[in-house]
Amino acid sequence: MRDDPVIVDLVRRARAGDQAAWDEIVERFAPLVWAICMRHRLSPADADDVGQSLWMGLLEHLGSLREPAALPGWIATTTRRECLKVHDDARRRQVPVDPAAAEEEVLGADPTAAPVDEGLLAEERRAAVRAAFAGLAPQCRRLLALLVSDPPLPYVRIAEILGVPVGGLGPTRARCLEKLRRSQTLAAFLELDGAERGVR
Amino acid sequence: MTGWWNDDDELQELLREALAEQRDTPARFVEAGKASFAWRSIDAELAALSYDSVGDASALAGVRQTDHAAIRELTFAFRDATVHVQIARGGLHGQVVPPRRGEAELHVEGRPVRTTEVDDQGWFSFAPLPATAFRLLWRIPGGGTAMTDRLTL
Repeated sequence: MRDDPVIVDLVRRARAGDQAAWDEIVERFAPLVWAICMRHRLSPADADDVGQSLWMGLLEHLGSLREPAALPGWIATTTRRECLKVHDDARRRQVPVDPAAAEEEVLGADPTAAPVDEGLLAEERRAAVRAAFAGLAPQCRRLLALLVSDPPLPYVRIAEILGVPVGGLGPTRARCLEKLRRSQTLAAFLELDGAERGVR
Repeated sequence: MTGWWNDDDELQELLREALAEQRDTPARFVEAGKASFAWRSIDAELAALSYDSVGDASALAGVRQTDHAAIRELTFAFRDATVHVQIARGGLHGQVVPPRRGEAELHVEGRPVRTTEVDDQGWFSFAPLPATAFRLLWRIPGGGTAMTDRLTL
């Protein structure tokens, strides 16, 4: 897997005691941690606890992290483990249950729900997309953010906001999405994602 | 082959989901993560929770709830000492065993650290109680530094 230079730099600076670099790491990955907690149906208070142990663990881990590029994966798997631990602890305080039902109980019995690993991969993929998006030029970020705004905006309105002709939006969108796709962050993830697909 | 890596509509949809996930993350969750950096410089042993009256059905049953009655009891163990903590409505009281002079700190997210003396009987107290999640930390001369996990009442 290729190293994402931004993450490598953030980890190096945070290691040296740079609070701003740490803040950026947290900003980048907090949505990943939160999303995993929500998929495991944790209460907000339990999610806060998982977040705290995750960040404390990362602080300890920061010095020994050999490949900073592996950080998103480390965060995702550690968060998932912490989430399962919360459910384990809750179960231990109640009547013993069939351990086979445990994962189903955690993730719901919906037969169409993605298997755990796939869910985790999708969360890591979205984290990679956010990181790639953050690295785009301001014009691209602005256009793409308008294109995915909720509720959706018609092209005419977007062109008005940006002060550009409607006809130019299509080509600019294509160019910005291509930049997003080709960003090192997403390329690094794509290699991992492709490798995972290969073994299925 | 189609997918987000070669289809613009799929990539845009993926971006929409990714940014929505970011919007749904509470700001306090992000802020608490940033605040944890302060712990980086503290070289402390993690004090293991060895007893918690929550989850112990026999504990504190029938205790009248006054300001001085314990509503929760916790025991932490670290290298060469044990700390008993009693939480009452009026505040938090603890004792380091075997008794040793030192300092105790109360760390509440986003608040200045509260420091108090551990007397020669090993006693210390904090009042009022922290309203949100907190950690306790002990500095015992010659006995090192130990801190608890994050605690909520």
